[in-house]
Amino acid sequence: MKRVGLTALLLVLGSVGAALQTAPQTGAIRPTENRESDFLTRIRRLTVEGRRAGEGYWSPDGKKLVFQSEREPGNPFYQIYALDLTTGDTTRISPGYGKTTCSFFRPGTNEVEFASTHHDPKSKQYQKEELDFRASGKQRRYSWDYDPEFEIYAYKPGATPSAPPTYARLTNARGYDAEGSYSPDGQWIAFTSMRDAYNRTLNAEEQKQLEVDPSYFAEIYIMRADGSGQKRLTNVPGYDGGPFFSPDGKRIIWRRFDTSGLIANVFTMNPDGTDVRQITDFGAMSWAPYIHPSGQYILFASNKLGFENFEVYMVDIDGKKEPVRITYADGFDGLPVPSPDGRQLAWTSTRAGGSEGQIFLAQWNHEKALAALKAAPERKR
Amino acid sequence: MRAKVLVVGAFVLAGLTRPAPLTVWAQQSNAAKQTAVAARTRAAVEFLASDRLEGRDTGSPGERLAGDYIAMQLARTGAKPLPGRRDMFMPFEFTAGTRDGGSTLTLRSTGNSAQAFRDTAQVQALSFSDDATVNGPVVFAGYGLVVPESQNFGYDSYAGLDVKDKIVLVLHYFPEDTDAKTKATLARYSDLRYKALAARQRGAKGLLIVIGPRSPNAGQTLRMTSDTALSGSGIPAVTISGTVANALFAGAPKSLAAAQQELDSGNPHVAGFTLPSPVDLTTKVIRERQTGRNVVAYLPANPESQIPNPDKGWVVVGAHYDHLGQGTRGTSLANKDEAGQIHHGADDNASGTAAVLAIADALAKQPTRRRNIMFTLWSGEEIGLVGSNAFIMNPPVPLTDMAAYLNFDMVGRMQNNRLAADGTGSSDVWPRILERANVAAGFDLNISPDPYQPTDSSNFNQANMPTLFFTTGSHPDYHRPSDTADKINYEDLDRLVDFAVAVIQAVANVDMPPAFTKVDPPQTGATLAGVRVTTGTIPDYTTEAKGLLLAGVVGGGPAEKAGLMKGDIVVEIAGQSITNIYDYTFALELLKPDVPVKVVFTRNGDRREVQLVPAGRR
Repeated sequence: MKRVGLTALLLVLGSVGAALQTAPQTGAIRPTENRESDFLTRIRRLTVEGRRAGEGYWSPDGKKLVFQSEREPGNPFYQIYALDLTTGDTTRISPGYGKTTCSFFRPGTNEVEFASTHHDPKSKQYQKEELDFRASGKQRRYSWDYDPEFEIYAYKPGATPSAPPTYARLTNARGYDAEGSYSPDGQWIAFTSMRDAYNRTLNAEEQKQLEVDPSYFAEIYIMRADGSGQKRLTNVPGYDGGPFFSPDGKRIIWRRFDTSGLIANVFTMNPDGTDVRQITDFGAMSWAPYIHPSGQYILFASNKLGFENFEVYMVDIDGKKEPVRITYADGFDGLPVPSPDGRQLAWTSTRAGGSEGQIFLAQWNHEKALAALKAAPERKR
Repeated sequence: MRAKVLVVGAFVLAGLTRPAPLTVWAQQSNAAKQTAVAARTRAAVEFLASDRLEGRDTGSPGERLAGDYIAMQLARTGAKPLPGRRDMFMPFEFTAGTRDGGSTLTLRSTGNSAQAFRDTAQVQALSFSDDATVNGPVVFAGYGLVVPESQNFGYDSYAGLDVKDKIVLVLHYFPEDTDAKTKATLARYSDLRYKALAARQRGAKGLLIVIGPRSPNAGQTLRMTSDTALSGSGIPAVTISGTVANALFAGAPKSLAAAQQELDSGNPHVAGFTLPSPVDLTTKVIRERQTGRNVVAYLPANPESQIPNPDKGWVVVGAHYDHLGQGTRGTSLANKDEAGQIHHGADDNASGTAAVLAIADALAKQPTRRRNIMFTLWSGEEIGLVGSNAFIMNPPVPLTDMAAYLNFDMVGRMQNNRLAADGTGSSDVWPRILERANVAAGFDLNISPDPYQPTDSSNFNQANMPTLFFTTGSHPDYHRPSDTADKINYEDLDRLVDFAVAVIQAVANVDMPPAFTKVDPPQTGATLAGVRVTTGTIPDYTTEAKGLLLAGVVGGGPAEKAGLMKGDIVVEIAGQSITNIYDYTFALELLKPDVPVKVVFTRNGDRREVQLVPAGRR
């Protein structure tokens, strides 16, 4: 699941959150100024159908959004859909079975990359098992399973409307391969892989780590759009994931968890893995970064204000200033993705109620964002 | 919108006018659009909400004039009367009001001369009382509460009492001094109709209610409410004053006050007893019958055709056009300064009526569709969904031929682009249709699966039909004279019309009629009958939140004094956790005037708590 799953976060952290909630703040009210409308106007819920939806990424012309959603009977896992923002028509991109996540339009083409397990002969069995489990009414402590069968695919529509699409498999390594995104020229894919846990002999401690949390082994990789030339870029214990290219293609932005899996920060590096720079330092879970098309600032999500309360923030591209809070809603606001013209924001939120996210859209006020960043205090080092 | 009156009523009692922020869309408006908008919905709202229509009370001259106007506007769009009908009017009878027709209670204690009470300040029939004359001994049965055993909580005011063929006297409300949890259970069964049912089921032939000396409004008789008056409950039932009660208790082993004090501890084993003096009870409720008019028209599936397409059935699109007249019925929220003024009902529901007229106009210009569209403009909504109920009871075409019902009620006060679509659980087609249509419309849709809403669509849901209900939610002018046409957000109302047309066309064109899904009714038990306080909060119905999201607070009210404000989410009151409006109403039942309670709420994600002092409510 790209940039760490919403449900996983909420449920894994749920017990801690509950503990925190039992200590309410008392005494006089100190109003927190809600500045959301400075940056976001005409907020609207975009996805309605189905149990959950999230991770909406724009097509380069800004006319479509590709996202993951659970919305078809018979499959309790995400599938990938493209939504035409002019007509409202939705097309399923992925094959319809197995687990999928993390889609992205390939610039200059009609292709879409995403991660999927549909080649796994057990895919449909897993679907049935999950549905049966839900029907049983039992509760499980949910966690994203980082299915080692996840591989990255490139979808290409058929030559005619009636011709079936083709799916080119780009990765072939045991261990979760996902969280892919294209470079602006469409020639490269940055992605996350946990193959390091499977392609060598682990010592006892590592073996234990793999059983508890395989994401410990997740590292950032890069490959050509056809899957060739796969190369590892990071080499630090803890979950490195969610890489995206900068608008000029000269940097990769991602988030790095510490080994506890609780603290994460936003980093940037060159596409060859050199010149790593840390951008955020909240001491909280700051993740899902995306660079605004102006190249001047970064949008990301953090739970700085409370374990279950993720909000969207922005910070200048070099991380020299204090980040500025964007959203002011209970629950989850995260996975912010600005439109290619920089004038809209798509993000995933639970602000409509419930614990499952849906995709929201709003107009983005770039000028006010720049002014707020300018006014932000220097970050204390 | 109707029944939420009861809920909101508790919150909005004190007066406050706040100009509605007209629009967040102002920046994209232009002169041409303004003109177009005004041409589409403004004229209808301004006419319907004008003084001339005197608040469109069901059965009034203003309602007739409104109906005539609507029929004329529908005819102008090209819509026609239903096949086989001369005009678009479908009249229905209703109970316009109830009043006591001279109920009396006479004490016949041995040795004394009879004491007769006939003034409504001493004895007054309940609106659901049967008309009857009964006589016999009076048995005091505590609070008259019976909690079913399924609640794992033993409480039966009638345990060990034989009330068969006797007259029962019970206290209003529920024991005053018990812990919150006990109160919570008992409050659920304290509605007067429920108490009447319990007495009748035990063979009692009459019911007397008194507000005990230890309860708010002690010793007063209850004002007769019209909104529960549509049928009798099978038992003569009156409220009596403290004076009458004391006369009944004369010579009894203990006084009413002493008896109530014992009961107020919550001890379920305080036994009732027979009072010394037998009584003659005569009840008379006058129910005034009047006639209201629904306006019903249709567009054939093929606009070129003069007859309806019989194959694919109908999509029904409706809104109520009646309102509260001059607020003489119980649901007005006018403050003292406004009492008796015309309630204009611009948002409630000239806005929905204007939307349906504009929808008809737009659909008449669209190409063919598979289903006919029926437009239903209801009267009698404010007095209990009476017009739409009459339609369901006597439908002009078979209900099974109606594919779906779409309802528009209070759609003229959009703020922050927020539109509520309720009842999506009634068919699995709704989420897909709404998502697709909203890509172009761009509303911040708040989806609620619950089809049990306090508006006409709930009658269609009860008739097993998929429903959708659109609303922009409540506001401080709700059910007050200040709900005027100048406060309507016409630009967004216009956008709603376009959105609705797309949704209706989608339903009208799906191959199979949408399948109906029965949604379980919300487990509430909360009735406003038991609420005796106001907190001065205005709930936001258009946004779902884990708790009660406030659309505002009443100026000078308890909530404002406590420091609560718009946007706060109340999650706990007096130890009761709040997850929705039902919980909130329920929690209010347990509060007492002037007794401070702890309110826990979240503001911008921070959890806080304050002390709130509820105010009394009559």
